[in-house]
Amino acid sequence: MLTFVAKRLGSLVVVLFFLTLLVFTLGKVADSDPVRTYVGVNASAEAVEAAREELGLDDSIPVQFGNFVAGAVQGDFGISLASKRPIADELSTRLPATLELAGWALALTVVIGVSLSALYSRPGKFGAFMRFVFFSAASAPSFLIAMLSVLVFYKWLDGALPAAGRSSYGPYDDGTGFYVLDGILHGSPTYTGDAIAHLILPALAASVGSGVALARVLADGISSSLTSPWARTARSLGEREGTVLRRHALRNASSPALSLLAVQAGFMVSSLVVVEQVFSWNGLGSYLSGAIGVGDFPAIAAVCLILGAVYVILNTLVDVALAAVDPRVRLT
Amino acid sequence: MPFSRKSTLEKIEKAQQSGARDTAWSALGVGEKLSLIGVGVIVLIALVGPAVMPYSPIIPSGGQLEPPLSSGHVLGTDVLGMDMATRLVAGMQRSLFAALVVTLVSAAIGTLIGVAAGFKGGWLDTALMRFTDLFLAFPAMIIAMAIAAAIGQSLGSAMIGIIVVWWPLYARLVRGEVRRVVALPHVQAARVSGVKGWRLLWRHVIPAITPTVVVTASLDIGAVVMTLAALSFIGLGTPAPAPELGRMASDGMKYFLNAWWVAVLPSVVIGLLAFAFNYAGDAIRVVLRRTGV
Repeated sequence: MLTFVAKRLGSLVVVLFFLTLLVFTLGKVADSDPVRTYVGVNASAEAVEAAREELGLDDSIPVQFGNFVAGAVQGDFGISLASKRPIADELSTRLPATLELAGWALALTVVIGVSLSALYSRPGKFGAFMRFVFFSAASAPSFLIAMLSVLVFYKWLDGALPAAGRSSYGPYDDGTGFYVLDGILHGSPTYTGDAIAHLILPALAASVGSGVALARVLADGISSSLTSPWARTARSLGEREGTVLRRHALRNASSPALSLLAVQAGFMVSSLVVVEQVFSWNGLGSYLSGAIGVGDFPAIAAVCLILGAVYVILNTLVDVALAAVDPRVRLT
Repeated sequence: MPFSRKSTLEKIEKAQQSGARDTAWSALGVGEKLSLIGVGVIVLIALVGPAVMPYSPIIPSGGQLEPPLSSGHVLGTDVLGMDMATRLVAGMQRSLFAALVVTLVSAAIGTLIGVAAGFKGGWLDTALMRFTDLFLAFPAMIIAMAIAAAIGQSLGSAMIGIIVVWWPLYARLVRGEVRRVVALPHVQAARVSGVKGWRLLWRHVIPAITPTVVVTASLDIGAVVMTLAALSFIGLGTPAPAPELGRMASDGMKYFLNAWWVAVLPSVVIGLLAFAFNYAGDAIRVVLRRTGV
């Protein structure tokens, strides 16, 4: 087990290094000139020269890469070309926003996946209809689900659920940036409830697709588990069907579901970027699309690095968890 | 999974016994047939649609934000008064063409690398697969975003971004298939009788792996359509007035609460495209597996 963990950690470092190298290289070959974006088209030659120095573009490429890596490790991603402020400062309020949404969306994915998996494997016409519905939901782009949910819950139901932003009250000054947590810490049910209400629609829009995918994998695993010899043995020992399902089938089906969940976390990152834009959610995703709009590549690189690192680390954690649960994994 | 897989199986067996020529088609369930017809209709619309539409997709032809079913504009107009139906059909053509190119190029690159690694073996195999695994470990969508953002806002750069993250899947798949096929008795027999090198590859290995690659590619088109749409939605496609579905949806968000159709209709079209191709790809996979092609 220890060798397995060491190996996975080693490859984690390698992947992170190449991820950084790739993003850095892309910045160098990027279409737009960072200095021009920074100082504007009409700037004087002296201003351009000064900006080159300020942005550290006078150093040789290897030195620039070294600085980039050293900065990224310490959470310093350089200066935004658009706002001329340190990117790390701009991201510090946005990272909790995205993490809060991602956490709720992931939890909702599991809820949707587990509760729908039973419907998925129903026999007959009803099951066929459910599979049709699931297939449609899995093919719908997350922004379509987001828009439809806003139309239904905000427009037609007359503002039953809020459809923009994170809170009606704004952040606490000494808050953690996680609004639900802040509300609980300050003992304010109104604030907490309001933050949760703001979370429902975005989290739903980001989780329907991956929830349905999870339900499919769980349903496949459960149906093959229920027909396996050990399930028959359990039944012959007098266990009830519900117990067989819960104690044996669901547990055995959860290992592929767990690795799928890691993959889905990657998809979720991309749907979060889209969903944040629909709901004016002030997180990394809306920051990213803003940066894309003005060609602010250092900011784009920073967001890509952070999201990429989260994804890679999450995958490593899941691999280790799987190995802990299932010894066979360690051999590969 | 699609409707009535079990009855599909029975039908295939029956058809095989009777030796019917149209085995593949008669083996399909209702839903699968409908999905294949749906894909046919979509391809037809995308091919001939833009030519028969009465308006131009990039020139205003009516009032601003006219709702669907208004006279002359079945699906309404957008904020510049351009006909929605015309733009949607043009957008379908663009995204289908782009998805097809992305899938073909990714499959070609992946096959090349997978065959080289699986057939040659040795250090080349190790090196190529390390490289492939590295790309597989990257978060696809984020890398595609970074690449597309670096090259500039256009459909072409979004396509390049997706190809870069898509080929490793094919390389892994093909490499495994090649190694499996090379060990098959008939290939071994050919090798024993002196067939080697390019001839062995061309006559025995490539034909054996082609169906797998084709099926995977057909299953992939729906996913590529969705990925392209997502990139376009966050601003990494060709800017307006180009009729690009993802971009149309995100631009339409500004007037969304007053004029839902500008944002919702392009999103629905993307969903329909993805749905039809996902479903049809699944149908093809089921049929090929059961008929043992």
